[in-house]
Amino acid sequence: MTAATEHVTPPADAPAPAAPDAAPVPARRERLNPLNLLNSGFLVLWGIFTAFPLLWAVMTAFKTNREILSLPDCRAGWRFWVWLWCMVDPPTSLEFDNFTRAWTQASIGVYFINSIIVVSGSLVLTMLLGSMAAYALARYEFPGNRIIYFGFVGGIMFPVFLALVPLFFVVDNMKLIPVVGQYITLNSYGGLILVYVAYSLPFTVFFMSAFFRTLPTELAEAAAIDGCGHFRLFFQVMLPMAKPGLVSIGIFNFIGQWNQYVIPLVLMPDPDSKVLAQGLASLAVSMGYRGDWAALFAGLTLALLPLLAAYLLFQRQVQAGLSAGLLK
Amino acid sequence: MATVTYETASLTYPGTAKPAVDSLDLEIGDGEFLVLVGPSGCGKSTSLRMLAGLEDVDSGSIRIGDRDVTHLPPKARDIAMVFQNYALYPHMSVAQNMGFALKIAGTPKTEITKRVADAAKLLDLEDYLARKPKALSGGQRQRVAMGRAIVREPQVFLMDEPLSNLDAKLRVQTRSQIAALQKRLGTTTVYVTHDQVEAMTMGHRVAVLLDGLLQQCDTPRALYDRPANVFVAGFIGSPAMNIKTVPLSEEGGRFGKVFLPLTREQIAAAREGDGANGSVQVGFRPEDTDLVGEGTGGVPVLVDLVEELGSDAYVYGHADFDGSEERFVVRTDGRNAPEMGQTVYVKPKVGHHHVFHAVNGERID
Repeated sequence: MTAATEHVTPPADAPAPAAPDAAPVPARRERLNPLNLLNSGFLVLWGIFTAFPLLWAVMTAFKTNREILSLPDCRAGWRFWVWLWCMVDPPTSLEFDNFTRAWTQASIGVYFINSIIVVSGSLVLTMLLGSMAAYALARYEFPGNRIIYFGFVGGIMFPVFLALVPLFFVVDNMKLIPVVGQYITLNSYGGLILVYVAYSLPFTVFFMSAFFRTLPTELAEAAAIDGCGHFRLFFQVMLPMAKPGLVSIGIFNFIGQWNQYVIPLVLMPDPDSKVLAQGLASLAVSMGYRGDWAALFAGLTLALLPLLAAYLLFQRQVQAGLSAGLLK
Repeated sequence: MATVTYETASLTYPGTAKPAVDSLDLEIGDGEFLVLVGPSGCGKSTSLRMLAGLEDVDSGSIRIGDRDVTHLPPKARDIAMVFQNYALYPHMSVAQNMGFALKIAGTPKTEITKRVADAAKLLDLEDYLARKPKALSGGQRQRVAMGRAIVREPQVFLMDEPLSNLDAKLRVQTRSQIAALQKRLGTTTVYVTHDQVEAMTMGHRVAVLLDGLLQQCDTPRALYDRPANVFVAGFIGSPAMNIKTVPLSEEGGRFGKVFLPLTREQIAAAREGDGANGSVQVGFRPEDTDLVGEGTGGVPVLVDLVEELGSDAYVYGHADFDGSEERFVVRTDGRNAPEMGQTVYVKPKVGHHHVFHAVNGERID
């Protein structure tokens, strides 16, 4: 046997234990039957429902205001379909000026950067603290473990509106803390970051501790024998193995924090420290007055981009994370 | 390389009354291959994990060489362990898996690469160093786990049923490979298994445990020839020894119509203690029997099943034995084995029988 073939063919050892189970999965496409047709039909319909508003918003963002407003007013009977067509009618020319107006005149740029700073800070902290807490709760036994865990789980069902008023006063009073107070009070990035982290931790801990529990104990023991301390064990062995879960919950938190509206509305009243969701809301009001619909949609499209990018980048891991632990 | 000493080491899991390992006294020599064997729940894995530092020792002590390691963390004990499910790090390549401990220890990169390459060569893993564990077969994963232990050059290897996840043929093959590897490296090894064939074929010495108590620790030959009690006699050897409780007379035990002469000392020992009631346990291995003709003093056994193994055949049957039904296993020549439903006459070879106390099961010599 040459070296080349030896590389390809497995040695005399038995194949991986999973291989025989994996074999019967049908590789060919299943034949068309009515149920499948119904399934696919429903999926297509679902896809249209989901994609249409997005597509519509993005295309509108490139139109001129005149184009947007010169829609035929025919929303009854067959003319509804004409109207619908006009809505998805591609813009005649790409008006990038809409984006410039939204970014500068409507301060979307400032809000965007505020959002990025706050969300990147809170996301990193949420993931770090959440996974550390979840790991400790999932893998170490200590008195009070269950109480802390259920405390976190209880936090999931706490509606944010219930906490809104006390939260405002707490964050406002943070300014009384000497030195650091000014960085974590109202209208500060730090204050909003901390609130986001606190708000996101319960579900993150709940999700990640379930994930850590599925990882085999022997791996931690092997690492301990190999010489890992608790920190190295967590960061170099356990955390990399929890990657699918981290990506799923990371995207979940990213979307949640990026789209958060009520909390910043209360905690960031200053125009300069508004985040994107607030910015869009005020944009909708002011553009409604000015009739600059194109800029509004351009702003919406801008707000959409980071989420879209995150989804596209991590799509595979999100799926892996959601189905992890189902099959072993 | 070092010796390993358990000194009345005990461990009781929280929430249980009975110790999982009960004052274990065991001395393992430098370079020795010691196998811990016993049925599930006997404390063999727990003993190993105590040595590894994965379980706390409640009382007693454990020493590796001259160092008392009883309360040291696993990483300070200079040991390497191979787990049943191998516990390979899934996100690291084979080479990274094998070099991880060295990397933590701060060994220079060139040294790590060299030692990993050496171990890979030894285990025939050179072509797979860049792969992730999930792209390996079961046997290869097992070898990576071995490699991870070898690379460390530890004082003691600990192996917790490392062959259980392999198929039967590969297990036999790997069994001899591990034994040969251990001989070559000369590292003290403690090996846990529930498979008494593995224990007998691999170990220099075998320690048999039951309910957290060490029953006997001796060479495989000695365990087979001179089991210390009824449990060891029944556990070691396949098929198991025929062990029967028979009435005791002045001259010996009466085994059906066969009379087993016992020495005066044996009879005296058998009568000691309460509850013996003038009976004694005798045992003989399936191969220590003769099938004799009718009327020559054999126990009549009705054949229930015959296992033909080619060279030999095992005859499973039962006999009406002083009013109760007793089962027997007998090894015979494979070429003229009896048939099912036939009655054969079994006569134990006198002098090859084992005698145990009727109540406490201790061996009587």
